[in-house]
Amino acid sequence: MTTIAEIVAQVKALPALPDTALKLMKAVGDPRSSVDDIVEAVRYDQVVTADVLRLCNSAYFGLSRKITSLSDAMVCLGTSRVLQLVMSVHTNSLLARPQEGYGLAPGLLWKHSVAVALASSAISTILKLPSAAMAFTAGLLHDIGKVVLSNHVSREFEEIMRLVTERKVSFGEAEQEILGYSHAEVGAQIAEKWSLPETIVRCIRFHHTPHDAHPADPLVDAVHIGDCVCLLLGIGIGEDGLSYRADGAVMERCGLREADLERIGLEVTMELQRVQALFAQGTTDAVGTGAR
Amino acid sequence: MDQVVDIADVKVSSNPGCTLVTYSLGSCIGVTVWDPEVRVGGMIHYMLPDSSLSKEKAVANPAMFADLGIPKLFRAAYELGATKKRMVVKVAGGSQLLDDAGTFNIGKRNYVMLRKIFWKNGVLIDAEDVGGNISRTVRLDVGTGRVTVRSQGQEVEL
Repeated sequence: MTTIAEIVAQVKALPALPDTALKLMKAVGDPRSSVDDIVEAVRYDQVVTADVLRLCNSAYFGLSRKITSLSDAMVCLGTSRVLQLVMSVHTNSLLARPQEGYGLAPGLLWKHSVAVALASSAISTILKLPSAAMAFTAGLLHDIGKVVLSNHVSREFEEIMRLVTERKVSFGEAEQEILGYSHAEVGAQIAEKWSLPETIVRCIRFHHTPHDAHPADPLVDAVHIGDCVCLLLGIGIGEDGLSYRADGAVMERCGLREADLERIGLEVTMELQRVQALFAQGTTDAVGTGAR
Repeated sequence: MDQVVDIADVKVSSNPGCTLVTYSLGSCIGVTVWDPEVRVGGMIHYMLPDSSLSKEKAVANPAMFADLGIPKLFRAAYELGATKKRMVVKVAGGSQLLDDAGTFNIGKRNYVMLRKIFWKNGVLIDAEDVGGNISRTVRLDVGTGRVTVRSQGQEVEL
């Protein structure tokens, strides 16, 4: 079997996204959906409900009374906060595994993904985009393709790095050339298989190449910038390091300056520390600390 | 024994069995200091060049910024008996993305600020490994002063 055929087969064989997550993302993507729709999407999933309630009642939020239901949680913490929690819980099991091809220890891909989710949603707020929750979800899933591509990258790592160092191409471009697919494209195909909203598929596909998105999409831009900030800060980065292109035109298009990037980096670092502490105490899953 | 220096963190030690380590420096910079006579070592992992970006965050977290964090590192080492003229200073990090427009050059600005602070204070850099597009892990063995930089599976002494 060729590498490309193997990758396609692996994407097909990936387990379906839990029903709850899928319903939720559809609800988030639809501007007409209400809090009730969102509660409806989660309420029958007892595991997720229990996790969300436990997290809501943790010291992190410092609420004075006990949250006992999902709608209660949404009233107290806001819909978007609760959505972020649910999505983070969902992706934890998938993204927390080590991705050896990229030199990522257990927990690191999840940490990077949550950081990019926080950054993308912060940027989407600055740009006054309609849904910060959508930006969060797109950020959270932007590197999902690495889950499938990791083994292949592992096998061809030296060859990929040779292209990166000798020809100064980005790691994603080298993946494309050696393996036939970049992790961004594989990720987009996974998202398509899961029937995620088109916007999220686009954000994943173009997160390293926002100029290829036609027409230009501010949500794609937000995820691209969010990813660049987190790569720069070294949050959950692997052996592929910073070998990715930053698109300066995107910054201009969004009207952002360097100081804005620094400010976003600051916020994300502090918020991420809080989220990690929350997950370390609030769920049974161990979260990596960045040690390698 | 490894003692981890987190992002926006300073640590010093006079325990010869201690290794100070910081992981995944991207555009951030790690500075190590070591006094061979008293065998005192220290390390900072700072994120951004200038605390004027956020006065309020700088109060809570001075080690986030080069301008406040680097003096804090030196002061902490002096408190354990180190002196400036004996200090061996090594620097790593300051990486960049592939960025033709130069819009995302936090790494470069972090390095420029460091040089400015060192120049003003008469501090010389003994060794450095900065720039490029890689992520680095830095270790300082407090007992021997040995500094290593690990990147892409390779470890080299600095």
